[in-house]
Amino acid sequence: MVDKVITVPAMNIPPMDTGDVVLRTTNLTKQYGKRIVVNNLNLEVNRGEIMGFLGPNGAGKTTTIRMALGLIAPTAGSVEILGQDVDSHGARILPRVGALVETPALYLYMSGRNNLRAVASVLGGVPASRIDAVLELVGLRYRQKDRVRTYSLGMKQRLGVAMALLQDPDLLILDEPANGLDPAGIVEMRDLMHRLTSEGKTVFISSHLLPEVQQICTRVAIINLGKLVKVSTIEELISGHGEFAVTVERTADAVALVKAQPWGKDAHLDNHGALITKAPGQRGRDLNLFLVNAGFVPETITQSTQDLERVFLELTNSGTGEIQ
Amino acid sequence: MSTVVTSSPTEKMIFHTSRPSFIGMLRGELFKISHQWITWVLLVLLSGVIALPYIITLTVPDVKDVINHTPLLFLTNRMTQNLAVLRVFIGIFLLVLTASVVGLEYQLGTIRVLLSRGVGRLQLLAAKLTAVVIIALTVFVVGILYNIILMSALLLIMVGNVHAYNAITPAFWTEAQQYILTVLISMGATILLATAASVVGRSLTFGLSLALAWFPIDNIGTIFLYLAYRLTHSDFWLNVSAYLLGPNLNVMPKALITSAKTEVFTIGAQPFVAVDGAHTLWVTLVYSLIFATVAIILTWRRDVQE
Repeated sequence: MVDKVITVPAMNIPPMDTGDVVLRTTNLTKQYGKRIVVNNLNLEVNRGEIMGFLGPNGAGKTTTIRMALGLIAPTAGSVEILGQDVDSHGARILPRVGALVETPALYLYMSGRNNLRAVASVLGGVPASRIDAVLELVGLRYRQKDRVRTYSLGMKQRLGVAMALLQDPDLLILDEPANGLDPAGIVEMRDLMHRLTSEGKTVFISSHLLPEVQQICTRVAIINLGKLVKVSTIEELISGHGEFAVTVERTADAVALVKAQPWGKDAHLDNHGALITKAPGQRGRDLNLFLVNAGFVPETITQSTQDLERVFLELTNSGTGEIQ
Repeated sequence: MSTVVTSSPTEKMIFHTSRPSFIGMLRGELFKISHQWITWVLLVLLSGVIALPYIITLTVPDVKDVINHTPLLFLTNRMTQNLAVLRVFIGIFLLVLTASVVGLEYQLGTIRVLLSRGVGRLQLLAAKLTAVVIIALTVFVVGILYNIILMSALLLIMVGNVHAYNAITPAFWTEAQQYILTVLISMGATILLATAASVVGRSLTFGLSLALAWFPIDNIGTIFLYLAYRLTHSDFWLNVSAYLLGPNLNVMPKALITSAKTEVFTIGAQPFVAVDGAHTLWVTLVYSLIFATVAIILTWRRDVQE
């Protein structure tokens, strides 16, 4: 990447934060008049993870991201990145964050390459070879000399990601990075996210695409009306609370029998007529044994999982199909 | 998207020790300005406008006699007229340039790209203004040199030599310096006006509209003040005209160059009451401070919603 070794005086190197939390919000609040957009938000993003940030329209996601990036001043609370307070040490710590907030903001009258050159010039310390590398990374090298005005939305999105990666950031904050990307582009973006985290980077990502979030993210934080309603791993979120789905004949009788057991009080039928229940000792094998002994031979027993979209709608009480 | 993501350790160390610097920001601003076609179009138009009075002079029948018999008077008149033209049209150029440098960053949303990387808000504004000032001074100096070349060409065409320059006296240079000073003051106020307008509106469209409308409104406003005076017979309306920015900038050369033996040429409406040089300077200073304060406070305190 570099053709000569540049010696940097050790005293200029900022101390590396060794903590596991890369991004932390503490009682973060933003209020416009009487309207509280973000309400006492306490959130932690750990090093090396891809955390999804979900919420309905107007939930306060973008406001939170803007506060994290020092674009909006919090009414109360604080944001720490790599252990440093953004409000007081923004100039020191924000160069180590790459961000793409909402639609990619670009100089439309310049070429893709010149966009990167303009930003690199302001940031300082970015060699031409790094510009080549990020252009290659997002697959825009072949259009680098064309004006951004002529780019498709997906290409602009890629250039926005390239801009975010210019200084090889430790933390990447991406707001709807898959916007405008075609299916191949989405797969490539997913691949990029995984590679970034495999190299020790942390990604905080807000997305409309819940299936994408389900595939990419290790954890998700769900926000509604400015409040954090859930932080969980994807597995926990869709695990169905340790329940099993059982297809069996005479389901009504089976439900009645299971409900009578101390571990099966919450047993019910789902939309497809399957018996949804917990298992004795939380073991599927024991549930099978219990049912067989009681004269019900299950056709299938599977771990009950929930659709992330459904979980999301339940948690945010949206139910409108309008998700963000 | 298939190449290395992470840079080498050496590069990474450089990235993490690098901070946005004022010089880097200034370089970035000049880079962006040089890639805006509007900058170059305006410069071409400005050079055409500067040349226009010379072309008109070529068609005036008795110019040759004036040059031969009263060369100093001819050169003094041409100097004040050309500087007056330069003041007005360089002002328009600066309004557009400043509005696009400040306002376009908001309008395109690129302000958030820069600020979210730790670039200081006021530092960025200062870098933008410095870039505009550098260009303004460069254009002004080139404009002066361009005028000298055009004047020499005019003399050569009309009388076949540049002997008229020999008639120049120290008083001419003093007058020229004073007029140049008023042009520079006017340029400074214009830059601050366009900056404040762009920051208030957070867009090129608003900033450009307000900045370009300011001086015409200011100048035309004097007509309404005069009408108000005629209707009410109150001197209040005439006195108000002494506190408008445009008329004060217009009359500034005349008010400051008191030693001039001939009428100092200016363009635009002037206050209806007599004002001295100090008054025009104070009024301009107050307006400039207001523009600068508005731009600084809003840039510093306001959330970036773009």
